[in-house]
Amino acid sequence: MNGKDIPMAMLEIEKLHVSVEGKPIIRGLDLSVDAGEVHAIMGPNGSGKSTLAYVLAGREGYEVTAGTIRFLGQDLLAMEPEERVAAGLFLAMQYPVEIPGVSNMYFLRQAVNAVRKARGEPEIKPGEFMKKLREAAKLVGIPEELLRRDLNTGFSGGEKKRNEILQMAMLEPKLAILDETDSGLDIDALRMVAEAVNRMRSPERAFLVITHYARLLNFLVPDRVHVMIAGRIVKSGGRELADELEAHGYEPFTAEAA
Amino acid sequence: MAVARRIAPAPELAGLFPRIAPQLPGGGALAEVRERAWRRFLEQGLPSVKVEAWKYSRIPQQVNRPMGLARPETPPAAVVREALAGGPHARRLVFANGIAVPSLAHLGGLPQGVRVLPLEEAIARFPERVAEAFARIEDDRGFTDLNTALCRSGAWIELDPGVELTWPLQLLFVAMGGEAAAMTHPRVVVRLGEGAKLHLIESHVSGRDGAVFTNAVLQAEIGEGARLVLERAVMLDADQTLLDEAVCELAAGARLLANGATLGGGLVRGELEVHFRGEGGEALLNGLYVTRGREHVDTAVRVLHHAGGCHSDQFFKGVLDEQAHAVFAGRITVAPGAQRSDAYQVNRNLLLSDEAEVDTRPELEIEADDVRCTHGATVGCLDPNALFYMRARGLAPEVAEAMLTYAFAAEVVERMVDADLARKVRRAILRRVPGGARLETEGLLEEVPA
Repeated sequence: MNGKDIPMAMLEIEKLHVSVEGKPIIRGLDLSVDAGEVHAIMGPNGSGKSTLAYVLAGREGYEVTAGTIRFLGQDLLAMEPEERVAAGLFLAMQYPVEIPGVSNMYFLRQAVNAVRKARGEPEIKPGEFMKKLREAAKLVGIPEELLRRDLNTGFSGGEKKRNEILQMAMLEPKLAILDETDSGLDIDALRMVAEAVNRMRSPERAFLVITHYARLLNFLVPDRVHVMIAGRIVKSGGRELADELEAHGYEPFTAEAA
Repeated sequence: MAVARRIAPAPELAGLFPRIAPQLPGGGALAEVRERAWRRFLEQGLPSVKVEAWKYSRIPQQVNRPMGLARPETPPAAVVREALAGGPHARRLVFANGIAVPSLAHLGGLPQGVRVLPLEEAIARFPERVAEAFARIEDDRGFTDLNTALCRSGAWIELDPGVELTWPLQLLFVAMGGEAAAMTHPRVVVRLGEGAKLHLIESHVSGRDGAVFTNAVLQAEIGEGARLVLERAVMLDADQTLLDEAVCELAAGARLLANGATLGGGLVRGELEVHFRGEGGEALLNGLYVTRGREHVDTAVRVLHHAGGCHSDQFFKGVLDEQAHAVFAGRITVAPGAQRSDAYQVNRNLLLSDEAEVDTRPELEIEADDVRCTHGATVGCLDPNALFYMRARGLAPEVAEAMLTYAFAAEVVERMVDADLARKVRRAILRRVPGGARLETEGLLEEVPA
């Protein structure tokens, strides 16, 4: 079907239409991501990038009016948000939520165990959890003190983003969606986060990186770059497409889409 | 027909004082103060729902009925042990139905300049001073007068200028229900000299279910530059009623930190009145109520900026489930001339059930112009963004809800000073929040940094 030579893509989005409060945001989007690949979606504000991320994660308030999404062969849209996580999907959010009263560490352990339980695996042993957590925290540059603090509470913008990547490292998803993870990060933090993601790259894992700027993609080199304008992917190409966008901006594409 | 603003005391209540007065501790000046309070109580009666501050309270109607006076008892050791707070060095007075239990007191080794004694002992030793203290607070609630007239036990706590009691002092009130309803009127007098420091913990727990009405009054005089930390936890049974009034007077530069948590009790009304009498005072007032069943929790805060340059901050949160009803009334009064006053107030409520009800109302009377004053009240449900965030990390919705509800309440607990009390309050929250017991077994409390 569709001329694809790989039998099953990790993520397959076909003719997706999504409305928010009755207003069409995504208007006929097709995207296929295979295991082992890093895809970048770039586009101006309001092009529907974050809507796509939320639809994939299962947030309420996003009405899929047409189209299908298959994740590892399953109908993603029929799954609850937590079922998607158990199946191996992870969204690093653009705006992580502050949750005072729940420690970062406790939350992480709950999340890890919830996913393990859903997969029929035993709970992680406290010692093993701590070892893994310390390693991951070091990788993304989260000091121990932030692990003991309440989840995202009083974290700087950059710390919140790093914490998202920490969660990703702990949950070991098959498909990770990074929604504007680069916004609010200085160059050192950006490099660190990219490095953490690069270490997680593997033939079994895919990444969908949503971003405004080509900056992140200098460190986190994508296999494919897609330009999203007004709810559609208007052009796809290799990493050089990102450089083209950096040089000329979105305007040529905006004109094309209009 | 208009409803009267006052409820006349029931005959059994109205006839009580003359009958028992001879057995009450203290004669002379104290007897006169009691007599006067009683007459005023008879004249004024109890506030009806027509009185704004009592509009939602069922306490006056509920307690205006035949009730015996509580008798001395010994509370169960296990209940006392379970309720201990303040750490290994805490000193303590234990009360059963508002009456001090001498055998359970632990007051040894108090430093020079600290006097802590059961009120009856203070009355025996210096009745005039007690009479003078009692006479200091007279208001129109009716209940304060009732307490003044009928009080037979409580605590006298006095720190000389410059003295600091480094260990917390716990007043542990155990309600012991019996076959018949009983009432009790404990009184706590706190006097902090200039620069003195005290950490006082007031616990109300149930030692046996059954109707008990505790009409407690605490009065604190906080001297210049002195500091009082007043922490209160209420964990009573559904048939027990607590009316707890604290009146704090702050001299110049005095500081008050009051943290309260109500986690059980059929009818609980906490009143907190703060008077800034001198410049540069600070009062941080934090409170939490987590209610369910048919519980009714009523919080009345009154902060009066008589003097300028003082800072007050009210932070009250509530979680309501099932058919629970909570009331929050926070009043800020800034007197003419009390310039550079800072007064803040927040009341946030989380409703877990359609049948639960919250009435929240700020009252501001600002009569100075150079004042910073803000207030905000919310009544809502769990934040859908936060719920989604947690589900997007793999948590089942019921787990996410329990965790968020706990977290909402725990924000107040984070401001508590005593780790023992905070731990008890956290545990009580988890036991009251739907799905919370599971979080407790999964170690939520272990990882909370001490």
